[in-house]
Amino acid sequence: MTDTDDTASERGGSASTGRSRACDGATTSAEGESGIGADVENLLGHADGSDDTLRARIALQMERKRPPRLVLPRPRPKRDRHARTRVAFLRYSYYDIVFKFFVEHVLDADYLPLPEPTKRTVELGSRNSSDSVCAPFKHILGDYLEALELGADVLVQFAGPCRLGYYGELQESILRDMGYEFEMLNFATVTGKPLTEYIEVCKKKVNPNLSVPHGVRGMLIAFQMIEYLDEAQDFYLAHAGFEAERGSFDRALAAYHADMRTVVNEYDLMDAHKRGMAALRALEVRVPVRPLRVGVVGEYFTAADPRSNLGLERKLLDMGVEVHRMLNMTNRNLRYHEKNLRAGISDYVRYDMGPTSSMTIAATLKYAQEGFDGVVHLKSSGCTPEVDCIPVLQQVSHDTGMPILYLSYDSQTSDTGLDTRLEAFYDMLAMKKERTAS
Amino acid sequence: MGLLKQNDYADVRSVGIPRALLYHRYGTLWEAFFRELGREVVLSRETDRALVDEGSALSVDECCLASKAYLGHAASLVGACDALFVPSMGNLGRHLGFCTKFQALPDLVENTLRDRNVRVASCLVDVTEEHAPMREAFLDLASRFGASPREAKRAWKTASHTQERADRAAAGAQERLLASLGSLQGSERPLAILLVAHPYLAHDSYLGGSVTDPLERMGATVLYADEADRERALKASFDFSTTMPWVVNRELIGAIMLLHEHIDGIVLVSAFPCGPDSMTDDAIMRCIQGKPILNLTIDAQSGTAGLETRIESFVDILRYQKKGGYVHDRH
Repeated sequence: MTDTDDTASERGGSASTGRSRACDGATTSAEGESGIGADVENLLGHADGSDDTLRARIALQMERKRPPRLVLPRPRPKRDRHARTRVAFLRYSYYDIVFKFFVEHVLDADYLPLPEPTKRTVELGSRNSSDSVCAPFKHILGDYLEALELGADVLVQFAGPCRLGYYGELQESILRDMGYEFEMLNFATVTGKPLTEYIEVCKKKVNPNLSVPHGVRGMLIAFQMIEYLDEAQDFYLAHAGFEAERGSFDRALAAYHADMRTVVNEYDLMDAHKRGMAALRALEVRVPVRPLRVGVVGEYFTAADPRSNLGLERKLLDMGVEVHRMLNMTNRNLRYHEKNLRAGISDYVRYDMGPTSSMTIAATLKYAQEGFDGVVHLKSSGCTPEVDCIPVLQQVSHDTGMPILYLSYDSQTSDTGLDTRLEAFYDMLAMKKERTAS
Repeated sequence: MGLLKQNDYADVRSVGIPRALLYHRYGTLWEAFFRELGREVVLSRETDRALVDEGSALSVDECCLASKAYLGHAASLVGACDALFVPSMGNLGRHLGFCTKFQALPDLVENTLRDRNVRVASCLVDVTEEHAPMREAFLDLASRFGASPREAKRAWKTASHTQERADRAAAGAQERLLASLGSLQGSERPLAILLVAHPYLAHDSYLGGSVTDPLERMGATVLYADEADRERALKASFDFSTTMPWVVNRELIGAIMLLHEHIDGIVLVSAFPCGPDSMTDDAIMRCIQGKPILNLTIDAQSGTAGLETRIESFVDILRYQKKGGYVHDRH
């Protein structure tokens, strides 16, 4: 679903909770989905797809089978001191390249690569998540389930100042209740603490023998790698819409990514980047006189991760559009300066409104001031901070005359629905541009 | 920034406070604070259908019911006061945050009501990023209202003490209620039901009344999770979860843990679609065992009829349970 107006209709559809039996009010109509975690005797959420799904559910677990605790303490499984740990990350755009480097050269462990996500990934994630939780939670839970099936020992989760800060612990709790055995390297447990705590938790969860000097050097390379990857992506977004030979940019970018995956030190990194950028720059493009320029803004996962936004950027490029996106790990994580970013948008906001809000608003204003034809705002459905940005963006759009398309994604969002809206938006921008030209 | 904003609220004679969201947690403090500063306080009226409808029309559809109601309250105050008081509440410390909605609220109100020329007086409470705890935020706010440092301190002291007294009184009344319940035996003792909901639902007669009214009509005694001893509840919540980011959700979960032995059942109420509750409701339903839990979601569209039937069935289950009946579906 891609329309902000459609939220109500989503509520019935995705309600089946596979790990629990369902009961609505006093009628104990059990839905026979035992499957995973059959011993969970809670009676939760009705799954008949009616509008009442979210309105009432009941838990009748009278026997106390567990203490009131999200993640139960357990004896640490004895691990072979010499065995290497297999570490898996969540999927996030092309940053798996950095995650791999981080695991191998900072944590000094084995990286477990995940295959391309499929429909099953999000189905797995949705089925085992609470219905109304945001879409990235479901995607990531699906990633973790696949990683565990593939033999991961450790799962890694980040932290953030919204619901993201709670992802790790809740996902760990859900996966443990499903019966999985693993370690969770959850950086939310150490946010705001000194670096030594980060190192301690990595040692404890992954590799007690990791070398700090080696790790610091690796970390610096990983940061540089993020900047390079984002630089290449920026170039790709700005030019691939005009490629003379269809697919040439995708091929060059894929080759560059493959090259980056083999990097083991800073020298390799520099060489791989130079080679990749040269290859991208050498590609022939046919840029129209006045190409349409569109900015992509929004929530951290949905705006930057192609599988979360159904390949929105490629769709725009295929329409022959020049695409820009300020939101990436370089700008949001490495070079981020909340206050200075906000100073530039002080006509609209006074306070930090949420994790990516200032960047969303600042980027939109920048694109408007630079004469972009339009902006697409992306978020997972119900993402509170990005929902709260919308009235601000509406003001920016009102003041500058730049149209903004608002897209809200959940696990039900369809490709065709998205195409229709994007095409309509493109047509509007193209018509507007034509009018101003004559 | 300090230089820029000195005295900029000095001309504000009457302060409007929307009777919604965190008003139900800090309202006593806010009102006392502005009265101490010699300002007139204008409260919006109690929530009603018209306010919710007005707020819904002003809101992005995906906003939660409670925030829609808030915008209705805010809009109703435009023109009725010199400025609206809308603080930005980030957090009270690490893992003691508020929903990002409360952080964004001043900017949300200003941008939504910009064409009505709304004026918003605000302050920032953010301990982790800005080292700005509540006291400092309010002292700063007082000086912007033109108060001297001495007047500012006095206003804060009076206001915060008034709030503390009110909180203690509510907690004390609930303690006594619990004690009196404990002294009753068998069929004499009414059902004790713990209402677990954000204060802006639990204590809003329009939004939360659709839950508390039927419970009381059926003779159950309603205990409020947000009126338990907050400090102890907060402490207990860290045994439940180490990284839960939200202070109010923490207090609610902590209260469940503290009161679990004394209650017959739990009614867990959320506004649709609540971000924090979308995660904590799942956690509570799955991990807190031993007492029946009814989880209700309230939204703007649906009436209260459906809720009432569900609450009645739930109370029936609890009565049956209390008599020693067995309703658990064993299959």
